[in-house]
Amino acid sequence: MWKSIVYKEWLKIRWFLIGYTLLGILGIGYLFLTVKHGFAFSGGKNIWNSILFMGHQFFSPLKYVPLVGGLTIAIAQYFPETVNKRIKLTFHLPIGENKALLMMHAFGAVSLMLSFLLFIGMFTGFSLVYFPVQMVTDSIISILPWFFAGFAAYFLIALIVLEPEWKFRFCYSVVGGFFLTIYLNSPFTGAYGPANTGLFVLAAFLSIALLFSAYRFRKGEM
Amino acid sequence: MNNVIECNNLTHYYGKKQVYENLNFQVSEGSILGLLGKNGTGKTTTINILNGFLQPRSGECLIFGENTQHLSPRTKARIGFLIEGHIQYSFMNIRQIEKFYSGFYPNWKPAPFWELMSKLNVTPTQKISTMSCGQRSQVALGLILAQDPDLLILDDFSMGLDPGYRRLFIDYLREYAKAENKTIFTTSHIIQDMERLIDDLLIIDFDGVLAQTSVNEFMGSFKRFDFVPENDKTDLKKAPFVVNLDKVKNKVELYTYSSESIVKKYLDDNNITVSNFAQVKMGLEDAFIGLTGKY
Repeated sequence: MWKSIVYKEWLKIRWFLIGYTLLGILGIGYLFLTVKHGFAFSGGKNIWNSILFMGHQFFSPLKYVPLVGGLTIAIAQYFPETVNKRIKLTFHLPIGENKALLMMHAFGAVSLMLSFLLFIGMFTGFSLVYFPVQMVTDSIISILPWFFAGFAAYFLIALIVLEPEWKFRFCYSVVGGFFLTIYLNSPFTGAYGPANTGLFVLAAFLSIALLFSAYRFRKGEM
Repeated sequence: MNNVIECNNLTHYYGKKQVYENLNFQVSEGSILGLLGKNGTGKTTTINILNGFLQPRSGECLIFGENTQHLSPRTKARIGFLIEGHIQYSFMNIRQIEKFYSGFYPNWKPAPFWELMSKLNVTPTQKISTMSCGQRSQVALGLILAQDPDLLILDDFSMGLDPGYRRLFIDYLREYAKAENKTIFTTSHIIQDMERLIDDLLIIDFDGVLAQTSVNEFMGSFKRFDFVPENDKTDLKKAPFVVNLDKVKNKVELYTYSSESIVKKYLDDNNITVSNFAQVKMGLEDAFIGLTGKY
């Protein structure tokens, strides 16, 4: 059964996931090409000076990359389910409704996670070529909330897309939009260090939010 | 005979608008029952309640003895469901969709699916989204047949189909249901299609159930008499046997469950002189309109 669920979800998101991952790889490659360019033309001293004393974040172009990933995968995965109320087909499968949804959700989240891990791995690897470990660690602490934001966006979009009523969708979108800014606020490198665990837990809690939209759909809200 | 579906005191409202109140009906094992009603009388509402997509205001529906609001996976596996418009996963091709569904049903029988697909002019890798409505209907039907359910719930199966596909759909379905002793609960807005398919009917209107019986019994007992009254002073609608009455220019179309002799006696007793009195043979659609009215 789970194989069939994974198969269906893969068919829906595969091109979006592959396209997003490739673009992300290119983006990270371009980021470090820029870093290399900076070292070559501005000199290492100036780069270090701007990072250490002027608060420059060489990784800031990555800020919205995970968010875009979360949005893309969630829409690719859940929008087809709402066209013509196709989610009824899923609910009619001989499997618990919540179990089916959570399996779909888990597949989407794991796909997103694999993509994110690849990005973080590439980022760490390239960073270590140019910067000391301490600076790389601080950079990773700074980018982690952005990746958590990607997961939070994925979970929120699922909640919004599956919600049967437009006014609820609107409310969720407004609240969700404000919620996501928590992950994208601080411009200071490493500032999110103490908060990262909490931000992760918050995002994890959101993972079951779509069950509420599904419950409302099954009760006949429209 | 066991009841596969049993709905008791079903009441539902959309906001303050009542759809129906205390609706009761049963579908017995092996029968093909058509739910007929005008737009807005609650056909799709009933289908949604049966599939657990809508919680009624009160009352309950049982399928194989289980409340439809909490169907177990085992019971869901015994129900084939056709969504209005033959909706399926249109991002899949027919090979993919067969592979997808086969993973859920231990008794999956791919042969009927591929047999139906062979009649279509499509390739196994053609996406469902690129198919015509008629072809999609065959895909949806093929998947239900491969699932081999004990109960089929079909929501407006005629929608969007041309006459050829409608005929193909009905003939295939009826033959299958009768050969395998399957139970079917269906709605359709094309009554002629229902006439070819169903054994029993349930006609609902805004006031509740108008008829629940076998098609043969209904067609045998429900009659239409046409005549032209010469002295039209009595309000015939008040006659106790009149179910519905329609006037087209001078001609009266009277619908009743009573016999010709009772109608004629009433006319005589009330000194209503009529000409061209005749019983008109009806199809199911005529009878449905006669019972529910044109408006």
